[in-house]
Parts: sequence; C-alpha cells; structure tokens
Amino acid sequence: MKLKMHVSALALASAATVGAAGTVQAWTLEEAAKPYAGTELEVLFLDRPGYNAAIKMLPEFEAATGIKVNYTTVPYENALGEQVRDFVAGGDLDIALIDLVWIGNFAENGWLVPSETFINDAALADPDLDMADFFPLILDAFGSWNGVNYGLPFDNYSGLLFYNKCMLEAAGFTAPPATWDDVMNTYGPALTKDGKFAYALQSKRNETQSADSFARFLWPFGGSFLNAEFKSNLMSAESQAGLKFRQDLMKFMPEGIVAYDHAETVNAFAQGDVAMITEWSAFYSTVVSPETSKVADCVAIAPEPTGPAGRKPALGGFSLAVATQADDAEKAAGWLFIQWVTSKAKSGQYLEMGGVPGRQSAYADPALAETYKFIPALVESWKDGVPEFRPRFAEWPAITEIVQEWGTKMMLGEVSIEEGSKMIGEKMEAVLAEAGYYDGKKPLAQ
Amino acid sequence: MTLRVPRRTIAAFLGPAVAALALVGIAPLLYAVWKSLHYFNLTKLAQQRFVGLDNYASVLTDPVFWQAMGRTALLFAISVPVQIALGLTIALVLHRPGLTFWKTLTRLSLVLPMATTYAVVGLLAQVMLNEKYGVINQMLGWIGVDAINFIGDPTNAFIAVILWDIWQWTPFVALVLLAGLSTVPPEIEEAAKLETRSDWTVLRHVQLPFLVPSLVAILILRTADTLKLFDMPFTMTRGGPGSATEFIAVLIERVGNRQFDIGLAAAQSIIMLALTIFLARLYIKVFYKEVR
Repeated sequence: MKLKMHVSALALASAATVGAAGTVQAWTLEEAAKPYAGTELEVLFLDRPGYNAAIKMLPEFEAATGIKVNYTTVPYENALGEQVRDFVAGGDLDIALIDLVWIGNFAENGWLVPSETFINDAALADPDLDMADFFPLILDAFGSWNGVNYGLPFDNYSGLLFYNKCMLEAAGFTAPPATWDDVMNTYGPALTKDGKFAYALQSKRNETQSADSFARFLWPFGGSFLNAEFKSNLMSAESQAGLKFRQDLMKFMPEGIVAYDHAETVNAFAQGDVAMITEWSAFYSTVVSPETSKVADCVAIAPEPTGPAGRKPALGGFSLAVATQADDAEKAAGWLFIQWVTSKAKSGQYLEMGGVPGRQSAYADPALAETYKFIPALVESWKDGVPEFRPRFAEWPAITEIVQEWGTKMMLGEVSIEEGSKMIGEKMEAVLAEAGYYDGKKPLAQ
Repeated sequence: MTLRVPRRTIAAFLGPAVAALALVGIAPLLYAVWKSLHYFNLTKLAQQRFVGLDNYASVLTDPVFWQAMGRTALLFAISVPVQIALGLTIALVLHRPGLTFWKTLTRLSLVLPMATTYAVVGLLAQVMLNEKYGVINQMLGWIGVDAINFIGDPTNAFIAVILWDIWQWTPFVALVLLAGLSTVPPEIEEAAKLETRSDWTVLRHVQLPFLVPSLVAILILRTADTLKLFDMPFTMTRGGPGSATEFIAVLIERVGNRQFDIGLAAAQSIIMLALTIFLARLYIKVFYKEVR
C-alpha cells in the first residue's frame, strides 16, 4: 500500500511538473540536454535483447543531445560484483543497472539518487514522463525501495509458459496446462516419451536456481521465503508442498536438469526436445526466430500455470537509476537518458527492436498481440505477480548463495526436502540476525 | 683478485626488483592480512569493524571450507600421480634417439594445452561434454555407448574436471621431466644400458635420481596450481552440481565476489597461502635430501 501511494505521489509530482513547465515553454529533450552536451555516461549492459534494442536506439539519443553513452556489456553473473566494486571505489559508473533483487542493497548503501530529485526539476523532467503509465508491480519491484523510487523499469520480464503447440496437439491437447497439477498429472506423463520431455526447469547453481527454480515453486503453492516476522517460512506446509512438487516434477524433465541454465533450457525447447518451459519473456525472440529455433512455427505462449495459491509467476527485471557517485552534469545527463529510453514515446520502438517495455500504454493496441504473441500472457502475469517473489533487501546476495547450494542439493537428492529447507532457514536467519532485523536495528522491509 | 662491488651498485641492481615485489606482492598480502582481521563486507561498509581472529575461527570451524579442501586434495591426489605417470611415459619416449622431426612436432603440440586459457578450457568442456549436443557423447554414440550426463551428475562432473586437468597439465609435466632427463650424463646412461637390458632398472637407478629436482618442482607448482584452480571449474560447472566441484579457490571467489565478505575471503586465502608454503617446504625437505 505504501509503495502504491508513493507511485501515486510520483505521478502527481510528474503531473505538477507538466503544468509548471507547460506555462513557461514546451519542454524538449534537445533543450533540456543543451547544458550537458559533451557529457559522457558510463553504464553496464547485459547481452540480452532489451540491451541490444537500447544500443540500436543510442545514436538517436546521442544525436539529439550531444550526450555520449558508453556501455560495457558484461555477463549477468558479473554485473552485481562489477557495480558493487565500482560504487565502493567511487568509480566511473554514472548509471546503475539494478536487478530487482539488488535494489535494497544499492538503495541502503546510498548508491542511488531518488527519482524525485529529477522529477521535481522542471528543466529535466519530461512533461510526458507519466510515472503512472509504468505497470505498478514492476515500478515497485524493480525501481523502488522502502517507499522511495530510484529506478525506472528498463529490461522487464515475467515468467511465461512457452509451449510447443505441435507437440501438445500430437499428444491430444488443444490448450496448454492451466494448473501445475495438470502439468504433473496430465501433460507430464503424456509428453514424456521417445526421448522427449514434457518440461524443463532451469536449475543451475546460480541465481537461476534460487530465482527460476526454487522460488517458482514456493509462491503458487502458498509458500514464501520468510513469514511476517522475517523468520524462515520454508518449513511451512505450503512451502514444503511446493518444493516437494518440484522434486516430483523432475521425472518429466531431462536428466541433469541441475546443470541447465537459461541457455540450455531455451535450447532444449528450441530443438524440440522439451514440450514446455517456464522462462522469462525476454527469450521470446530467441524461440520464435527460425535462425535459433527449430520449432519457431510451433511456439505458443501462455501465463505460467496456477498452483493452489494462484498464479504468482516468476518476476524479474532491471531498472536504470542515476548513481550518486556521478557529478552533477552526469547525473542530469544520466536522468535524461533513463527517462528517454524508458519513455512512452520510445516504448514502441524499443518493443520493435526486441525489448520489453514496462509501459502499460505500449501494449494498449490489441493488434500488437498478433505480432508479439507473448504480450497477453505478459500483461496478465504482471497483474498477478508479487514484488517480493525474491526478497529484495541488502542481504539477498548472501541468502541467494545459501538457496543455490541447498536447493541444488535437494534436487540431487543429497539432502531431503525437509533437511534442505531447515538448513536454508537456519542459515538465512543467521544472515538476517547479523544484519539486525531481529533486534529492531533494521525495519522488516522486503 | 676479489672485486669489491659498491653497495650503491648492489642496491641499484636489486632495488627495482625488490620494490616491484614489495609493491605487487608484499603490500597486497599485508593488506589482505589486515582485512582478514576485520568484518569487511563491500555491501555493508558501515558495519566494518576489527574482529581479531574471528574470521579465522569461522573458516577453521566451517565444514564447507573443509569439504572444499577435501575436494581439492582429492583432485590433487588423483590427477597429479596420473599426470606424472603419463608425463614420464611421454618424456621417456621423447628421450629415445631417432625420429627427430616427429619428436620436435610432438614437443610443440605439447605446449598447446598449456597455452590455452583456463577459462576457455572450461567453456570448451562445458560445450563438448553437453549430454545432448556435446561432441564427446556424439563420439561415444558412434561406438554404441549411451550418452553420459557429465555435467549434471556430481560424480561425473568431478571426474570430468579431473580428466580435463590431466589433459591440460600432463604436457607440462612431460616437458619438465624431458628437461630433467636431458641432465642425465649420456655416458652414465649408456654404461647403465650396457649393464642391464631392463629399462625399469635404468630408470629407477640412473634416471630417476636426476629427475628428483624436476619432480619437486612439479609437485610444488602443481600443488599451488591445484589450490588456486578456479577458472576451469568455474566456467565448466560453476562449482556444481550442488557442491561437487566447489574447490577451495571457487569457494573463496564465491565468498569474496558474490557474498562480498572480503574479510572472510581474505582469511580463507591466508590459510590457503600458509598451507601452500607448508607443503612446498615439506616437499623440499622430504625429496631434496636425496639430492643433497
């Protein structure tokens, strides 16, 4: 509720700025950027479709503003470490790339400038910024912490069910599974045969294990990492049911699924070896391109199946925020870039070039669903998501390592579900105790 | 006549090397020791504090650390003897007279695995050992062997790392031992061969004593290499599945670069350094006495 109120306040502030600016003169990016022409910005990008789309759009921004955006492409696994070290050392990065689970960490360390700083500056705020146009879920989850917004949603994902409709039809199904129970009891047995598998769940021991595999089976079953007192909730009946379900579902997955990262999972689907995967919307362009997919014509998309507690699909994505270590000109130029690349005006172009905008207006045209088959499922998923799908506080880097280790051991059968859950719970609570959540030093914020 | 070298000349020759060593070796080491005595987490700098030997106590009582040490020791215990056995065989073949061109070609090709970047070796392994699409399983399929789940099975992943380590470092051992064999005086070797027709006897009583310095060098270098083995398993398995290939250097990287607990990672590194020095001294003490 607090976050929603804050988003509304931002929208009002944005609207007020529009009014104020409107009475003086029409705001243009070119005019706003004039004092900062020649400024160079440093930012980290990933090698993913959303970033490649932004890279293609950069020349237009640079020509209009005279601001140069220098990007360095790094693997996801290195992005957090690179940024943490840069911010600690007072390095060169002017813009922070924030995965939703890093926001608490970055905000609590004071590495980000609140968006309000710029939204309240009529010279920098685009009158058409329209914060309320962002999907509230992702604006909260990707860019806000403890009631303050820092980042604007840039590279936006939701977990979706990608299914091979040709394989499903051959097995007698006319629609994708609506529930996880359907996957286990109906689709799984029918589609796992002749060296093909019904489902693949990316579960490699990295963030994939904790975000894509472990958390995916907590929420739809009513479980969660933590309860309201910030104690482990993994031993609850709901969490245990979800984790046991994941273990049972492995019989319909390829052998060695714990070694599958996104690439292996998407590839198994694209090669026609697996009938269904639950993957990020960002992989849409990979599975529908004939260059990278043998099943491009058979790909169909649906929201993730529901569990006893509802859909609660995997939620992930990145926002861009201005870094406090930047000087004043870089901060202003950084904001202009972030505001531009995530703007309503550019969202159509961003979508066309392979990105997934976080703007509601970008998906308003029903005809778009013809071209981008993932849109209806994506929009529906962003209505059902939970911002704390993974806890977003500063301690997540330590906790995710624990989940990765013991979550994988559970899947390998090296420990039982109960033993693994108990171990994660104990270690997770030790991290939270050390951080001061249990003695009132820190608010119980996710 | 004894030439007395002025102190300034000695200082001028030694100074740059000592200064460079102090700058790039000693200073970071002292800084790491200092940090290992602190709670120093990059994402919680406000909580930075002196904790004395707490980090060392945490490391020494942490089962995860000892499990990683155990894995590293097992890797060393299996791969280094195999590397020495294979390397010695290759060196003895190359030491025989004749076939000069082919031996030169072999020597050159032996350098290739060593010259390949560790991380690239790991990435290649990941692709080649892929259960479904990897070339290794494809070749096994040609001879009727079912596909093996190399990377997704804990035992197979560990074996795969061992095999890859053997592939990469056997040539190094072979070249060092070949250099060692070249120090055996030819007349002694020829005399021995006149005395006995047993190659084993010649190896055991004539060649092996000359190979002891090479073997000690191999043991020291391979011990240090194994303890710091990171790039290859990281890119190949990332320490998994589970913790099956989480060797000590992979663990330290995880603690330092992913949990950002620099103090704890520094303590782990210092303990590893102490262990490396101890083992190096042990090798020299045990093996070099034969040479002396």
